[in-house]
Amino acid sequence: MSEEKNNGRMSIIVRTIASSVFPFIVIFSFYIIMHGHLTPGGGFQGGSVAASAIVMLIAAYGYRKVDERVKENSLACIESIGAIIFVAVAFVGLFMAASFMYNFLVGSPFFGEIPHGGNTGILNSGGILPILNIAVGLKVMAGLSAVVAVMALSAGEKK
Amino acid sequence: MIDLFSIILILISALTIIASIISVLMKDLLSCVIALAIMSLLLSLYFYMLHAPDVAIAEAGVGACITTAIFIVAIKATERYEKEEER
Amino acid sequence: MKAKTIFFIIFMAFLLYAAFEIHPFSKPTSKMDDYIISNAQNETGANNVVTSVVFDYRGYDTLGEATVLFAAVSGVLVALRRKEDKHE
Repeated sequence: MSEEKNNGRMSIIVRTIASSVFPFIVIFSFYIIMHGHLTPGGGFQGGSVAASAIVMLIAAYGYRKVDERVKENSLACIESIGAIIFVAVAFVGLFMAASFMYNFLVGSPFFGEIPHGGNTGILNSGGILPILNIAVGLKVMAGLSAVVAVMALSAGEKK
Repeated sequence: MIDLFSIILILISALTIIASIISVLMKDLLSCVIALAIMSLLLSLYFYMLHAPDVAIAEAGVGACITTAIFIVAIKATERYEKEEER
Repeated sequence: MKAKTIFFIIFMAFLLYAAFEIHPFSKPTSKMDDYIISNAQNETGANNVVTSVVFDYRGYDTLGEATVLFAAVSGVLVALRRKEDKHE
């Protein structure tokens, strides 16, 4: 098959469009994650959008290119870092304030200002919500893209 | 009184049902996966029209992209056409 | 075949009953959402009430969801491990 000849990658049109669209999708996913407490979206949604961008690169460039560039151990490390940040923030709420996963940053001058009449554009508000959004976003992005990458590697090696 | 909003909702739900029935009945599994992706995209549009944009973004990201990629990888590793078997 | 038809008819009757006896839209039965809708913006400072519910009021559920995702990804990575790693 010609698929075996060119290492499972698609034609040059698909590769060019995928590599030129990729930064915009990643920036949009970062926007969804960072504005998770202001506009619709959040950690899971932005992470899934970023993972779909990585899946698009895997589909366009083939599994061997992915095998050269990124290892699944690093993706698993990123996912574990997200989980550790999540649980660490929750335990800081236990030790510094009242209870587990208490929103201890609300009211502090750095992260917790509460504007009157709705919050329209202040990013560093909402207490621990942006930190947890970033943690869950890292976790979902690394996890879903690791699943698809490992499955593509396994299917490519088996063939 | 049926307004335009209800007509669009009924149209989208009818298309969703048609896409899911196609995904059940087809013998070519790749066509089934494409029909599932279409169903997921229409479902995300339905969620958006019901004022749930959070669920719509999650559905469009996970259902229409990640699930399709996983299914296509699984079909590539196994077989493409569904076998006829006695029941 | 007959058992399938009977089951289909019963299931469709159940679905139609559920569709006609559905609760009216945007009129919830509990009073908890009134508190959250009226106080979430003043208590957390976030504009998106859904995110403040998911990450603040109901943080345990998000922790459980993260645990489920972590377990699923770990299971896939263990099951589909590379062959070189297996020989080492």
